[in-house]
Amino acid sequence: MWTKVSNWYREWEDEQVAVLRAPELAAQVKPGYRRYFADRLAALDAPKRQQICEFSLKYRGARLRGAIAWLALVFTLCGVLLHFTSERYGWIGSILFANTIGFSLTLALIGAWFDYDRILKQKRRMALAVVAFSIMGLAFGMVLWGQAPDSWLVRLPNMMWGMLVGILCVSAPVLGISLWRHSQAKATQARLEQQAEQDRLARELSESQLRLLRAQIEPHFLFNTLGAVQQLAQHGAPRAAELTANLIAFLRSSMRDMRCEQVSLATEFALVESYLKVMQVRMGERLRYTISLPRALEQVKLPSMILLTLAENAIKHGIEPSLRGGEVALSARLEDGAIRISVEDSGVGMSATPGAGTGLENVRSRLQLAFGAAAGLALLDGDPTGLIADITIPQLTP
Amino acid sequence: MTMTTILVAEDEPLMRERLLEMLAQSWPEARVVQVAENGNDAWDGFLEHEPEVAFLDIRMPGLSGLEVAQRIGKLAHVVFVTAYDQYAVDAFDAGAVDYLLKPVQADRLERAVGRLREKLDAASAPPADLGHLLQHLKSALPGMRPERIKWLKANVGRQIRLIDVEDVLFFQSDTKYTRVKLRDSEALVRTPLKDLLSGLDPDRFWQIHRGIVVNAGAIAAAERADAERLQVLLRDCEEKLPVSRTFAHLFRD
Repeated sequence: MWTKVSNWYREWEDEQVAVLRAPELAAQVKPGYRRYFADRLAALDAPKRQQICEFSLKYRGARLRGAIAWLALVFTLCGVLLHFTSERYGWIGSILFANTIGFSLTLALIGAWFDYDRILKQKRRMALAVVAFSIMGLAFGMVLWGQAPDSWLVRLPNMMWGMLVGILCVSAPVLGISLWRHSQAKATQARLEQQAEQDRLARELSESQLRLLRAQIEPHFLFNTLGAVQQLAQHGAPRAAELTANLIAFLRSSMRDMRCEQVSLATEFALVESYLKVMQVRMGERLRYTISLPRALEQVKLPSMILLTLAENAIKHGIEPSLRGGEVALSARLEDGAIRISVEDSGVGMSATPGAGTGLENVRSRLQLAFGAAAGLALLDGDPTGLIADITIPQLTP
Repeated sequence: MTMTTILVAEDEPLMRERLLEMLAQSWPEARVVQVAENGNDAWDGFLEHEPEVAFLDIRMPGLSGLEVAQRIGKLAHVVFVTAYDQYAVDAFDAGAVDYLLKPVQADRLERAVGRLREKLDAASAPPADLGHLLQHLKSALPGMRPERIKWLKANVGRQIRLIDVEDVLFFQSDTKYTRVKLRDSEALVRTPLKDLLSGLDPDRFWQIHRGIVVNAGAIAAAERADAERLQVLLRDCEEKLPVSRTFAHLFRD
């Protein structure tokens, strides 16, 4: 008999573990009580299934029997104590009572531990169930101890009190556990979300670094520049050395800045200038540029590479496609208590440049990340042609 | 011996200089008849000089090298000069197009020149028609979608008139200006025709002469003006437009 029960239980438990690991197996379980439980388990979300699975694997076989025996011992002791305080139920009655209550409470707590959401979501149903079971338990007790139905009325107030205490004893720990587990799960989720957000920002940063790296080794930039160097060098022109020096300055400072999250305006302006110098040698009269940075703003910090991205866009989408070429103007100034940095070009303008938004989303999100909503990037039509990219950052008092 | 005529189109001055110097070395018996700094000048210069070979940078202001090549069609041999990476130019290898990677290196240029000489010597073989391949390339290479003009601005007296480009019957080059002929009026636009061209849909606006682009929807018929030349008759307009030899194929079946 024992082995039969034990085998039946082990089989059922294996089935449940299998369903917990692969919920789609629930559909293969024979219809009946097992199917009911399997479906319920399969409907849980993945982290809960994982937890229940670990629990089931931990408490199985000898360990489960040990735990039950240990709990039974504790509850029996409670029953003995109960008997000493009130001899009303006799030895057997007290011990039986304590064990019934104890194991019910244990099962309820295990349920609350793993399925806290459900208890919190269906509070009313759970409360009703508790009350209903209490009443049933009370009636069962009355019948068991052979109380005559006519004495019930007399004892009703007492019984009601007892029931209330019983309900409280069961619900309070169940509710407490549920709430605690729920808040724990929420905290875990919040932590995971925060982690995901951090990952996203880190990814964005490395994406912008990658894009920059690509911009430098982009064939159009590097090969055309090297071609220009080669042509100048062929004639021994001093401009070859100058162009090479600017290319080196550009590559070196962009690689250095790429590793910093923030740089000073002076550094970033110097980087953009080395880029514009290279481009000017290559494009000749088609490109003119001006750069103006007031001394007071030199040490203002901003996320690295964003001015370079805007300057590259101005050349690539503004000046290069323009028949007459044009001018790029980089400037910074104080305006209404905020710092405004402009990259203006007199090229072909916004409507004529599909794909001009490349990298702009990245610039926006990095500004937000560094300064919050106080910072921003605005794109305006130039007058009479071209594009103005305006960056606003708050003035931070040192 | 007649010298082979060449057109070179490249927007960066140093690269242009370099290509010209290298060409002078590896192909002394060729003569550069036109040097262009952008696609519009390249096409206009091509129509003016009708060279046998065109070296075209792919990324240029105005018409891209691919668009110029598409217009050149079978009229000349095309060699592309490009800084696009190997991956992108793999598409060239699929076809009969020759290309040079920037910065151009002497040995590679000599090989291209050798191939061009062979093609030119076998005078019977016309240049390959690249239309299909170019269509494919244009969609494959990034940043190659041309922007179309929708509205033209024309000064009429003290007013600035907005003209829907679809309403234009034809454009006629007038030195630095372009004459725009409409059903009931005409206007002058301050942009040379060669620069308007890149903004016009080539399926709708047909170039029939170096200085004339006509709205295909406005054409009533084409007829022989004399033994050699064609001319186009328009609906709603008395003017007859000459078709140059280069574009006569548009009206052959």
